[in-house]
Amino acid sequence: MTRTQVQIIERILAAIPIMLGVVILAFLFMRMIPGDPVDIMMGEAGGVTHEEMASLRAQFDLDKSLPVQLVLYLGRLFKGDMGYSLQRARPVKEIILEAVPATVELALFSLLFALILGIPLGIASARYQNSIVDRIGMATSFLGISMPGFWLGIIGIIVFSLGLGWLPTSGRITYGMAPKSITGLMTLDALITANTGALKDALRYLALPAVTMGAGVAAVVARVTRSSMLEALKTDYVLFAKAKGVPDRTVTIKHALRNALIPTVTVVGLQVGTLLGGNMIVETIFGWPGLGRIVVDAIFSRDYPLVQAAVMVYALTFVVINLATDIFYTYLNPKMTL
Amino acid sequence: MGKGKDHGLSRCLTALVVLAAILVFTGLIAGSPIQASGKTLSIIVDAVADRADEAEIIATYLRAVGVEAEVRLWEWNALKDRLEAGERQMYLSDWGSAYFDPFDLVIPRLATGDRGNYSGYSNAELDHLLDKVQRLVDPNERKEAYFKAQDIIFHDAPWIFGYALNEVEAARVEITNWQPSMDSRINLHDVGITQGDTIVVAMKEDKIVTLDPAMYRDRPTETVLRNIFDGLVTRTWDGKVVPEIAESWTVPSDNTYVFNLRKDVKFHNGDPLDADDVVFTFKRIMEEGAIAGQTSPRAGLLGPLESVRKIDQYTVEFTLANPFPIFPQALVHFQIVPEGYIKEVGDSGFAAKPVGAGPFKFKEGRLDDQIVLERFEEYYGGSPEIPPIGIAPAKTAIFRMIPEATVRVAALKAGEVHIIQQLPPDLAVTLSKDKNIQIKSVEGTRVYCVELNCRRAPFDDIRVRQAMNYAVDWDVILESIYGGDAIRLACAFLPSGFGFNPDLAPYPYDPEKARTLLEEAGYSVKR
Repeated sequence: MTRTQVQIIERILAAIPIMLGVVILAFLFMRMIPGDPVDIMMGEAGGVTHEEMASLRAQFDLDKSLPVQLVLYLGRLFKGDMGYSLQRARPVKEIILEAVPATVELALFSLLFALILGIPLGIASARYQNSIVDRIGMATSFLGISMPGFWLGIIGIIVFSLGLGWLPTSGRITYGMAPKSITGLMTLDALITANTGALKDALRYLALPAVTMGAGVAAVVARVTRSSMLEALKTDYVLFAKAKGVPDRTVTIKHALRNALIPTVTVVGLQVGTLLGGNMIVETIFGWPGLGRIVVDAIFSRDYPLVQAAVMVYALTFVVINLATDIFYTYLNPKMTL
Repeated sequence: MGKGKDHGLSRCLTALVVLAAILVFTGLIAGSPIQASGKTLSIIVDAVADRADEAEIIATYLRAVGVEAEVRLWEWNALKDRLEAGERQMYLSDWGSAYFDPFDLVIPRLATGDRGNYSGYSNAELDHLLDKVQRLVDPNERKEAYFKAQDIIFHDAPWIFGYALNEVEAARVEITNWQPSMDSRINLHDVGITQGDTIVVAMKEDKIVTLDPAMYRDRPTETVLRNIFDGLVTRTWDGKVVPEIAESWTVPSDNTYVFNLRKDVKFHNGDPLDADDVVFTFKRIMEEGAIAGQTSPRAGLLGPLESVRKIDQYTVEFTLANPFPIFPQALVHFQIVPEGYIKEVGDSGFAAKPVGAGPFKFKEGRLDDQIVLERFEEYYGGSPEIPPIGIAPAKTAIFRMIPEATVRVAALKAGEVHIIQQLPPDLAVTLSKDKNIQIKSVEGTRVYCVELNCRRAPFDDIRVRQAMNYAVDWDVILESIYGGDAIRLACAFLPSGFGFNPDLAPYPYDPEKARTLLEEAGYSVKR
């Protein structure tokens, strides 16, 4: 086993106490928020007796003391049982697993959009610093950061769905078009089953939410890439390469960019974590059946097990993304270690 | 709480204009400084964000009579905890009724210690009446009791009585025979479409909770499920109970109901529906832990139901512990499930792929995305009292979750969906100009009010509570915020519910009377 491999394993092991801490905190915080989940569950009906509420409370262990509830919960968790949703009358694991592919798909496409737009924009702005390209690029990216998602999303719907009629207003795929479910990612499943109709349809549904969600990320990526490129272009090794007569394009892409990308990778890593959490606003606007909407709804309805499980998924995502980012550094700059 | 009240910019602006007008008006007529004849009454008005504009206007009206009023916004469930602890003073709240009877409205809201009685109101005479009325069988006696209850509540003024909002819905012009129902359910069996054969309904919810008719308590879930499942009885759009799977029923004694079932009803899997399925359906709900170890949250909705018994293959008898005259209204909310199928696939298998006897079969879908239903070709036809009778006109029905109001409207305009519910007033105005859209409104079944904490000062004094009722001009609020799509209520009763007294007039807007009452109670007022 190489040193790097050992370090990766160490990092994974170190994640376990982090996860445990996150779970316990989520457990305690949820119970500190005022509101009674059973009362919320019963809605506004007449004829609800106190016995009926008590029996439901007992069914979900809510009648026990906090430490006992925590121990019972952790005990089940170690056996892989994430509990039963108070609101949705289903095992929590099922609900989360159902929502994750939709969120991952949207996150990937938002990221793709952000990178395709952000990195070239950043490079161009740095290469032609203070030129008109730079000014337009940076003004656009400033706009991207400033525009709130709900505004951009609604404007997108008004222009592209209502005005031009090119894209659907919301949803994930047209009824009857869905490819056979393999991974749960519509585009990927369509590719695997070579179903071009489904692929086109899924992409039409993805376009607006992915752009809405990716706009802010693209702007951040462009700005970070620009500033680190500016720095890299002034380093000695770039000057040396230029002096040696290496073509301009090669210097920019091969010598400068590779090193300049390290801050970008850090930023992108953080953004991926956020994107994978599911953007509640974008998911709500576009009726996208992802994790963000579920979590917000679960918090409002005090669905303790569901919130705890979702927080756990978030924590795990960040741990994994951080590790992946660090590994990617060593690839970009082999002098770096984990 | 605050269901579906999306506030547009235009409504905020109207509210601001009204506020300014009130301020100028009171400034003009007041002119003089506060006349101190006692201590100043100082109040915090609690509200959720949905009703913030309304709360601000109410506070302004209160200030006009000399009350120091300030609005505070909350998340509903956090506020509810404080209300139940009796810590707050005045709060905007609302409550929906499903039974077309004060049973699930006035009793939980105003009976001493009941679970929706956040005002802490308590009146022994009213408690006695409400307790008695649940067991009264004679409609005239029930009505008389409810009339008396209305007088008591009106006089005691535990709330600033408010209003009921109309349900405003919109549909594409291709949709035919569509009528919004007062209980806000959408029964697609009756609805036709002139272009294509698929009807898409946009729901404002984030999700429905389940496809198992024993495991929910909310209306949106029921809206979808009632297209897949039928009940013994159902309800017309305006609240009348009519037979569905039951052909007829008799009431041999005050505590017994006997239902005769149709003999031509089939489940989607081909199994015939008979008395065993009906008995199984109700036992599954009544028995603890009967659904894969879980207990149905619906048992309480059945009132004093004690047992269900099969008499013969097509006759079922329900026995109650005590008379419960609204039992048929309650049964509307219980959908019959197939015993054989559930025993074969298990409860979770059933929830994943439900089989009912309703006009549509479940095809596919996700609870927080879209639910796709397909016409059931062997449907028995539905209630003979709600035409058309026969299989549904539409071949496919889709319920799509679109939680954002603007997007629902955009989807309707784009023709992606055909029916949307709970249209915000500002968007209704825009949509009414679109010739491809039809808009209908129907009286709602949700009571909006401002609750007063009767447990402690200042609202333990009836004069102060009545003064609050005289101080607020609801007509202005309803017109400016809700575009007039609302009904002013005199009390806690709904016009659509049983036992409503139409002759009881609401408290008039009379700021002078409010000032007099406040002065009598020892508070300073502003003239």
